[in-house]
Amino acid sequence: MSEQYPIAEKIPPEVLEAEVRQLEELKAKPALLRLGGYLRLGGPGFMDSALTLGAGTMTAAMLSGAIFGYRTMWILWVSMGIGMFMMAAMARFTCRGGIPIISAQKKYHGWIVGSLMTALIGNVAVAVIFNYGQVSLGTHLIESLTPIIGFEFPRQINWVLYMAVTSAIVLSYGRKGRRGIKFVESFMKVSIGIMLLCFGACLVLVGVNWSEFFRGIFIPWLPSGVEGLDLFIASSAAAIGVMDWVFFNYAGLARGWGKKHESLARFDIFIGLFLPFILVNYLVLSVFAGTLHQQGIHPETAPELAQALMPLLGQTWSQVLFYIGFLAIPITTTVGISLAGAIAIHEAFGWKPDVNSWRWRICVLLPQIGFLAVWYPRPVWLVIAIGAFLSLTNNIVGWSFYLLFNDKRILGENKNRSYIWNLGILLQITLINCIAIIYVFNRLGWWIK
Amino acid sequence: MIDLDGRLGPLPVRAWGLILNFIGNALTVYGAIGFIQDGSRLPILVIGAGLTAVCLLVLAKPSK
Repeated sequence: MSEQYPIAEKIPPEVLEAEVRQLEELKAKPALLRLGGYLRLGGPGFMDSALTLGAGTMTAAMLSGAIFGYRTMWILWVSMGIGMFMMAAMARFTCRGGIPIISAQKKYHGWIVGSLMTALIGNVAVAVIFNYGQVSLGTHLIESLTPIIGFEFPRQINWVLYMAVTSAIVLSYGRKGRRGIKFVESFMKVSIGIMLLCFGACLVLVGVNWSEFFRGIFIPWLPSGVEGLDLFIASSAAAIGVMDWVFFNYAGLARGWGKKHESLARFDIFIGLFLPFILVNYLVLSVFAGTLHQQGIHPETAPELAQALMPLLGQTWSQVLFYIGFLAIPITTTVGISLAGAIAIHEAFGWKPDVNSWRWRICVLLPQIGFLAVWYPRPVWLVIAIGAFLSLTNNIVGWSFYLLFNDKRILGENKNRSYIWNLGILLQITLINCIAIIYVFNRLGWWIK
Repeated sequence: MIDLDGRLGPLPVRAWGLILNFIGNALTVYGAIGFIQDGSRLPILVIGAGLTAVCLLVLAKPSK
């Protein structure tokens, strides 16, 4: 289990040693310099947030803002906050022993839990099916953006550009050792920066009702009745899930992270994942709370929501900014889920990931089948089947990680020793359990009609 | 005290705890649906929430 992850083998040992020395030196530096250094050295956390901030998350943020105004903002930090405990456990698996989590599951909990539930359903199927939504949104956004800047670029053509850009980025991961990884991580960091800048500028233009804003963040509110229960459970469980856990583990292993990287990994989870996720969601939700919510307009799909917003943003430059920020979302998600899917396929079948092999290339490009979204909607039966598998298996994957985290055979003396840490993980497991339960109740007709 | 690190039949005690927690969660959701809709199933909600709370508090104990 403690062998180096194959993608990290291409990183020369002296590079890793220099990074560890840098981390040691940073510990003695003032907070601001330390922050800058950690930002530079971090990466997997940013990759995770770019992956999580996808078409679904953004549609939920836009809808929440348009329908409920600022009032559901608290759910975001609560749900992401609960998710941090499992992410920190992933950092422990990565940094203390270099444990590839799916391999550990296969060894101790069997092929069904490790390969089938975690790798093939929780990652590969999600990557392939969810990329339909990303391509659909991305091509819609390009089609809507280009007329504002003076030319037409319909989605029946622009999918080629979308696919070429995302494919080029995913194929560069791990190439030339550390440089390829660094390139993709930097792309994700810059994209998150673009999202923050663009949505931030739109929010400045729209304005914020600060008292409502802070009330939304700190005072819990839910719509009355079952809608509230539904909204809370779905939002809490959807913020962070199996793919985020697994991808962080493997992205850290691909960086060659060891024991001395654990503080960097925790920083990366907070600054790279928690903060960008919360901030981007807050900005988008606030833009819609300040515009569509005031006007009482509630379109249902992301492109419709974006189009309804345009007249309310006024000037052309702000519309362009919104579309650019928005476009960064599906692009980064396509990149993230493609990598997560490829890593998971390799782990499921025990293949050694070699980024220069044709097998890796085929696996990493598999989600690009989503280009069909330009002409056809996602196959409904497949979405239903995957949704069912996901709802019913995600919690078992969570159980498996909790058990591994408390198992001396895997982490030895580094296994969990904290009551609060376990409690946080169990809270998240409970929320994911509720998703499975609600799914079954829905099938049985017991859920609210 | 319960030995969470031991085994009970085919599964570790912690795994049985997770299954019990799942049952508690199901009872809570089932009770909550009735309670929110027409004020019924309060006892089920209370039993489910209680079972969930006990499971979480017990299972959070780290192994020795």
